[in-house]
Order: sequence, then C-alpha cells, then structure tokens
Amino acid sequence: MERISFYDQIARNKRKSIVLMFCIFLIFVLLGFLISLAFSKEYFFVVMAVAIVFSLSYIMFTYYYSDKIALMSVRAFPASRTQHKQYYDIVEGLCLASGLPMPKLYIMKSPQINAFATGRNPENAVVCVTTGALEKLNKQELEGVLAHELGHIANYDIRFMTLAVVMVGIISIVSEIFLRSLWLGGSEGEKKNVLFLLLGILFAILAPLFAMLVQLAISRKREFTADATAVKFTRSPTGLINALKKIKHDVPMHVNKAVAPLFMSDPFRKISGLFSTHPPIDERIKALSRM
Amino acid sequence: MLWLWIVIGVVAFVLLIAIFYFNRFVVLERRVENSLAQIDVQLKKRADLIPNLIETVKGYARHERRIMEEVARARKEMLKAGDIAAKVKASNQLEKALGKLFAIAENYPQLKANENFLQLQQELSAIEDKIAYARQYYNDSIMAYNILCTKFPGVAFAKLYGKKEKAFLKIPEVEKKVPKVSFE
Repeated sequence: MERISFYDQIARNKRKSIVLMFCIFLIFVLLGFLISLAFSKEYFFVVMAVAIVFSLSYIMFTYYYSDKIALMSVRAFPASRTQHKQYYDIVEGLCLASGLPMPKLYIMKSPQINAFATGRNPENAVVCVTTGALEKLNKQELEGVLAHELGHIANYDIRFMTLAVVMVGIISIVSEIFLRSLWLGGSEGEKKNVLFLLLGILFAILAPLFAMLVQLAISRKREFTADATAVKFTRSPTGLINALKKIKHDVPMHVNKAVAPLFMSDPFRKISGLFSTHPPIDERIKALSRM
Repeated sequence: MLWLWIVIGVVAFVLLIAIFYFNRFVVLERRVENSLAQIDVQLKKRADLIPNLIETVKGYARHERRIMEEVARARKEMLKAGDIAAKVKASNQLEKALGKLFAIAENYPQLKANENFLQLQQELSAIEDKIAYARQYYNDSIMAYNILCTKFPGVAFAKLYGKKEKAFLKIPEVEKKVPKVSFE
C-alpha cells in the first residue's frame, strides 16, 4: 500500500488554510471594489476601507468561532460524562493512543449514524456524533468512527474544513443578498454603472458556484487519510469497516448543505458522482480492507 | 571577503540543524516519559478500584474466597512493583484474575444486577482499553525516538548529545481469550 505521510498532510492543511483565508480576503476586497464602482466614485476609499476592515475582522471571527458556528448550525449540545460514559471512555482511550489532547464532546439529535470534528487546532477541537451513531453502533464500531474523527483532528483537517465550510458558506449567503438587493434597487441608468451592475450580478452568480466547487474539493481525499489515521490509532480496521457497512444502509439526514462536507459520510446519502462531497463508502471499505 | 560569508553561512546552517535535532531529541524524550506516566496513571486507577470491587463481590459471593484472594494478591504485587515493566507485568496478572472474577460473577444473578458492580465492571473494562492504548502510544513514542537515533543524520547528533536507543516494554500482551473457570 502507498504510504501516506501524515506530516505532509498536516503541512498541506495549514498551508491551504492560509491560502483560503487570503482568497477570502481578496474576494471581499474585490466585492467592495465592485460595489464602490457600482454606486459612486466619491465613496471609493471609504467603501474600500470598510471592505478591508470588514474582511479582516470576518476572517478573525471565523478563525476563532467557526467551530461554534458549525456546532450551532446542527444544534449540537455538550455530551455529559455520566450519561454518555462510553463515548467519553472511548475518546479518552483514543487520546491516549494518539497523544492528542482531549477534545470537547458534543452530540446532535439525528437518527442517522454520522459524526464530525471541528475546531482550529488539536488544543481547541470538538468531536460531535449523532444520537443515531450512539444508539446503532456497538463499541468497536463507535471506536472506529471516533478514531476517524480524531484522525481529522490530528491531521489538521478540522482547521481547513471548518474554515472552508463557514467562510465559504457565508460567502454564498452574502452574495445571494447582494444579488437580491441589485434586483430590487436598480433605477439609475448610467452606462458605466450598468456594466458594473452586470459584473456584480455575474460575480454573485459565480460566488455560490465557486463555493460549491471548493466544498467538493475539500473532503474526498481527506476521508481516506483520516481512515488510515484511524487504523493507526486503533490498530485494526474492523470497527470502522463494520461502521461504514452500517452507514451504507442508513437513512438520509437533513442538515444545512454548507456543513455537509464536515461529516464523516454524506448526510444526504446521494449516489456518488462527480459532484459528491464524499468518496463512495465501498471504496473506503476496500481501502480499509487492504490495511 | 566572499569566502568568509560562505563560511559564516555554512556554520550558521550547521548550527541551526544541530539546534533543530537537539530540540527533536528533547521533544521525543519528553513524549516517551509522558506516555510512560500515562500507563502509570491508568494502572493506579485500576488498583484503586479493586478494594471497592472486592467489597461488592463479597456481599453476594462470600465463598468465592480463592479468586478474591488472587485479585487482592495481584493488586498488592502491582503496588509493590518498582519499575514500570514489573508493574505492567503484575498488572497483567491482575487483569487475568479480574477476568476470572467476572466470569464467576456470571453465576450470581443478584451480583450481576447490582448497580455498583455493573459500574465497576464497566469502569474496569474501560481502564483495560486505556492501558492497552497507553502502551501502544508508549511503543510508538519509543519507535519515533529510536528512528531518530538510528537514521542519518540523526545518528550523528545522537552521538554528539550522548543519546542512546531505548528499549521497548517487553511484556507479552494479555491473551484475549476468555479465562477458564472450573467449578468443583
């Protein structure tokens, strides 16, 4: 089997996070530029200054609060040590195996077997599982799933994925609002303004598309790497394989489309294709069986 | 003048690498120590639960004296053990004795239904998992350290700093099969 270098993966994730933040910054500044041209020339510097300050504070905010936004969007609540003892015990054991600090544990209400990890680094990480996963999986399977999530934490996938989901998710919303405001208040008839209006509209249409593409690009390979990391922690692929087999025949779940890539398996249970957010489960099982 | 700068550059480069390797050694050594301490913590947690367990079992299965003595003896042995290798070895003995105890408990429905007993059983099996994981991490840490010590250029710096390869914990894993229990 091809050896996966985890250090490379970590470095790549950190690098990509920075590139992503820079891209977001540029997109906001570009947006501000387009807006300033579409409205009036006198306010150019004011609009640009506002755009820069806004984008910087936006990036700061999402960097530190993206995990909370992600948790809020699925209405997750903290797991209690007494009620979910097995959940705590397994994660504590896996933290011993991996040398990772203990993440905060959350639960979200859903009958579907699924889980995700989020946060900006291993010291500020969160693991969240569905109530379905806690009910339907046995201990070994749950261990496999949680090891997979800790794999995302160890490989710094959580930083890049959460940033991408939250930053890009909000961009698509913002550009939608921008688009709508243009439809409602387009009364001035200057030729130059019309050009930029059209540009603005084009941009607003492209932004969600771009957002979708970024989402699609992020998780596919990462899932394989996290699976491999999980096996490194548990020393056996059996638990994760059995969990994936159960997941394959599971019910679909309704979550915000933007957060779907965070989950360990596609929440919508779509048939895999070019636009799927996750690799096909069969392929993952095949890769795991070879370990 | 130019060659002087080249010499300074090379010296600075070598110095930087030497510092990097020194820090690598320190980090990995710390990790080995820390993972060893984690095993110790879990072993101690297990030992602390045993008296409570024996008390509970006594209430329902008073005449299973032999097995309870075996558990208590194994626990004492473990607490007495000096170094970690002896501790883990004694702990394996304890784990075996506990396995027998829980197998015997199957014959006492009232004991099996006891809230306290169930909790202890769950806790002990969780600790067993954690000990296994802590040992795994300990071995991983030692392996990372040893690789640094033996691979080039780490091997040169290992000599320079007087670092030597560390030995793995050489204790056989506890057999995972169910212990045999005889009833006479």
